[in-house]
Amino acid sequence: MSDDYKENITPLEAQSSESTTESSDSIKDIDYVRPAEVADQDLYHGHSFITKWIFCQDAKVIGVQYFLTAVFTGIVGLILSWLMRLQLGFPELVPFITAEHYYQFVTMHGMIMVVYFLTALFLGGFGNYLIPLMVGARDMVFPYVNMVSFWMFFIAVCVLMASFFVPGGPTGAGWTLYPPQAILEGTPGAGLGIILMLVSLSLFVIGFTMGGLNYLITVLQARTRGMTLMRMPLSVWGIVTATALAMLAFPALLVSCIMMTLDKVLETSFFMPTILKAGEVLDYGGGSPILFQHLFWFFGHPEVYIVALPAFGIVSDLISVHARKNIFGYRMMVWAIVGIGALSFFVWAHHMYVSGMNPWFGFFFATTTLIIAVPTALKVYNWIITLWKANIRMNTIMLFTLGFIVTFVNGGITGIFLGNVVVDVPLSDTYFVIAHFHMVMGIAPLMVIMGAVYHWFPLVTGRMLSEKLGKWHFWFTFLGAYSIYFPMHYLGFIGVPRRYFEMYDSPYVTSAVGMNEFITVAALIVGLSQFIFIYNIVVSLRIGKPAGRNPWKANSLEWLTPEVPPAHGNWGEKLPVVHRWPYDFNVPGAKEDYITQTTPPSEVLGAEVEKT
Amino acid sequence: MHAGFIFLAVIIGSVLFHIFTPWWWTDIASNWGAMDDTINLTFWIGGGVFVLVCLFMVYCTFKFSYKEGRKVEYKPEDNKLEKILTVATTLGVAALLAPGLIVWNEFINTPKNALNIEVMAWQWGWQYRLPGEDGKLGTAQVAKISDENPFGINLDDPNGKDDVLIQSDELHLKTNRPVQILLRSVDVLHNFYVPQFRAKMDAIPGIISYYWFEPNKLGEYEVLCAEYCGLGHYGMRAKVVVENEQNYENWLNEQETFSSLIAKQNKIEFNTIKIAKNNN
Amino acid sequence: MSDHTLDKLPGGYKGMAADMSSDQTTFKGVQWGKTMMWIFLLSDTFIFSCFLISYMKGRASTVVDWPNPSEVFALHVGGVPVPLLLIAIMTFVLITSSGTMALAVKYGYERNRKKCAWLILATAIGGLTFVGMQAFEWSKLIHEGVRPWENPFGAKQFGSFFFMITGFHGTHVSIGVIFLFIFARKTFRGDFDTGKRGFFTTMKSDYVAIEILGLYWHFVDLVWVFIFAFFYLW
Repeated sequence: MSDDYKENITPLEAQSSESTTESSDSIKDIDYVRPAEVADQDLYHGHSFITKWIFCQDAKVIGVQYFLTAVFTGIVGLILSWLMRLQLGFPELVPFITAEHYYQFVTMHGMIMVVYFLTALFLGGFGNYLIPLMVGARDMVFPYVNMVSFWMFFIAVCVLMASFFVPGGPTGAGWTLYPPQAILEGTPGAGLGIILMLVSLSLFVIGFTMGGLNYLITVLQARTRGMTLMRMPLSVWGIVTATALAMLAFPALLVSCIMMTLDKVLETSFFMPTILKAGEVLDYGGGSPILFQHLFWFFGHPEVYIVALPAFGIVSDLISVHARKNIFGYRMMVWAIVGIGALSFFVWAHHMYVSGMNPWFGFFFATTTLIIAVPTALKVYNWIITLWKANIRMNTIMLFTLGFIVTFVNGGITGIFLGNVVVDVPLSDTYFVIAHFHMVMGIAPLMVIMGAVYHWFPLVTGRMLSEKLGKWHFWFTFLGAYSIYFPMHYLGFIGVPRRYFEMYDSPYVTSAVGMNEFITVAALIVGLSQFIFIYNIVVSLRIGKPAGRNPWKANSLEWLTPEVPPAHGNWGEKLPVVHRWPYDFNVPGAKEDYITQTTPPSEVLGAEVEKT
Repeated sequence: MHAGFIFLAVIIGSVLFHIFTPWWWTDIASNWGAMDDTINLTFWIGGGVFVLVCLFMVYCTFKFSYKEGRKVEYKPEDNKLEKILTVATTLGVAALLAPGLIVWNEFINTPKNALNIEVMAWQWGWQYRLPGEDGKLGTAQVAKISDENPFGINLDDPNGKDDVLIQSDELHLKTNRPVQILLRSVDVLHNFYVPQFRAKMDAIPGIISYYWFEPNKLGEYEVLCAEYCGLGHYGMRAKVVVENEQNYENWLNEQETFSSLIAKQNKIEFNTIKIAKNNN
Repeated sequence: MSDHTLDKLPGGYKGMAADMSSDQTTFKGVQWGKTMMWIFLLSDTFIFSCFLISYMKGRASTVVDWPNPSEVFALHVGGVPVPLLLIAIMTFVLITSSGTMALAVKYGYERNRKKCAWLILATAIGGLTFVGMQAFEWSKLIHEGVRPWENPFGAKQFGSFFFMITGFHGTHVSIGVIFLFIFARKTFRGDFDTGKRGFFTTMKSDYVAIEILGLYWHFVDLVWVFIFAFFYLW
């Protein structure tokens, strides 16, 4: 923050906001919050259409831009999944889908969904919109770089989509892009397709580094008066821990992309051993395919937590607001998020149990992987204990959080199957793995995303979404998605491998035909029912019930702006002052069933508030 | 309430599906029943947690649905409860990890009497090499692979001469004798997987990987490639036949060795030279 | 820049705990831009660590002999091969430029515009010299037949890792040089004294920006020391 810092010499006292002066008789003292340490942020206000809506530095606009772009890529990914399912369920209907196309669909679907849809949505979409509001800042700490970060992401998406139109088509190497096959003939898109993918990923990493710096530093250094780290909503904890993971995990992805690009373009041999192809020994030699796997999964495992941790944080907030009860064990929840984040760097090779790596690593990684199950389980317990003796509104949002709990526990348990190294041996590279990661990373976070949209739509637009349509949307999505992925585990048990264009006439996998048909039909229904959601959003924008201020009666700062939707600069003249954590719901002795974060103690004297 | 019934149906439905599913493991045909046992244990513990957590959640939605003025518990923390849950979860995790690691230890330590079989993978097929009389496989290199030397065996290595070469994709095994699969790839990653044997491992170009198992059920089994290797991945199949000693010996005697392959080629060369000489 | 008011804060672990549990800021008295640069450098450290670890793995598992760095990187002066001469000079230049940068930061905070500007310029020229020498080394090796995909001295991966890692580092140095020239101009013009708004970012200029650039420059220097040690000396 480059404002004239020296002018603003306020005495810095490192004491928490609870410390009072000696005489604590007067009421004023209990409302004491330390004075501001830094001067108010000096923001650039755009005035033209372009500087207000296109090249805009307002984190809220940037958040919506990320959201819309990510949803666009998600729709592309959804359509690709329909094409894949049609091939698997009813191949006679789609003779135009060749093996080449199929593998291109598989690869692009995977990469889009994990990276361009989920990561961008949680970090860029929700992170940009919610973080400054929830910590009481006017905007991110470096709005210009924040704006550039979105456009880098946008260009990365353009480069990725361009790969559909180049000769050879997009890469069909599988989202994991393993060498040597990724850059060799025999794999679709091994020409321009793979190069564009690697370039796009590199641009993505650079863009998200810029954004990530903003999210981290805003939380660390730009909170408002009274906002300690332990008074932040869990949504912020989840998103910011995920950002920290991203800063440390994306480098490995960038390095592996650079090395693979060089292997392709300059015929270096970082990952390429001696290879015999079509009777000829290629010019490569001496490289290690396993090195790629280590680099990729050192990124890849934290990546799935980058998707999961924001979901964990957000769902905690959704549950507590709509069950009208404090989240149970907030401190433990924070430590669990941070602990899971830290541990996630020590488990990566559980994706490599049968990779041919030194088998002794299996002991280490199985142990760390199963250890990470403990804090994760604690979070699950805390979510359901929050529901105990609460006052639960069974609205659309609560339904989505319940759907999250069911699907996440299911997916988490199957993760324990796979994490236990010797159990992974028969199940690796089968449909069990596909079912596991879709359940835990596809469906569960998606439940949170949808719930979060219903929850924050009134804030962003000033209107409510339709409850009726919302409930239809929920049941179709939850029941449909569960019917797709729960039975799919059993395909893995009978041994059906992943990434099979068709099953041929294998004696025992023909029994999978009926299951494949059922799953395809379910997938198409779930896909179509998303139109209920889109319709709900589009129509409610125009004729939705006006939301007014804080329609859910929540406590966190984003609902307490002077204008709804919040204007540029968020808080108007004065920044908010925080006196408590965001979970003071149904405090004994309080008049209402909620106490907002900015309510000073003098206004709730009778309430038996716990000190936070 | 209403919604709670549907969630309950999902839980019960899942349990019923599991009990009555027609899609279950293939009949195991190797010694790795311990893998199946570990999976079953995981089902009991993990499945138990799933059912308990979800039932508790459903119960809460019934019992604590929104009522104006309901008395809600305000208890930010309960350290004792958190401790108990942490300990219980850790014990549950340990109960899964311990047997799992014991079986893994067996998996990575090949028994001394296992027969070494080289499984060579290429885009998109399989071929095999057995050590022959001397019990040792000759050293080989990808760069030496040619039509005359399909396995790239080093010609100066005496161990290679009696190696049994099986260029079809059908491998025979003797029942109740442990084998160590030595995986080798000449181009990209592959994986030699027979679901009934349970074990698998990737074949990586540039290194030799391994796994071992003991087939103990007669029959014919399909091999599926289990690591994406390009367009032909789904069609990269093979067959493993597990038979008794007599049939196995008969099959083995029909296979050719490296030295007989060389001899056959020399004779062909000799003949072609003869023809060439005659023609000139 | 640091006020004596910061001295009032308790030190040690108690101080750390107090900072972590306080409101508003976690790192007391640290500018936003500076914190951002520290985190960015942490991320960049991971990038170079990945490169160097991959290099060590590649070198450890080489099946063909690895070229001898002392021979490959020797300069011939008057017919006598001097091993690692060029690298030694490059290292000296870069470390010196770190020194001039540190001085520039000091004079910047003292608001001694002229000295600060000249020192930034000196750093920029040092960096430019380094890049020039790196380019010279590249052209010399290319002339001798070293390519990313093969080389006459030994294992293929030698050239691959060499060009990739020094290329990445050289790019980082070049970007730093560009910013140094820009900042030298800004200092000469007095932008940091008047708080002139930046062209792109429209944020007010302040002498802390020079310290932030200095952090980046020291990082680039430190990475070079590691590359030097792992690639040239091992």
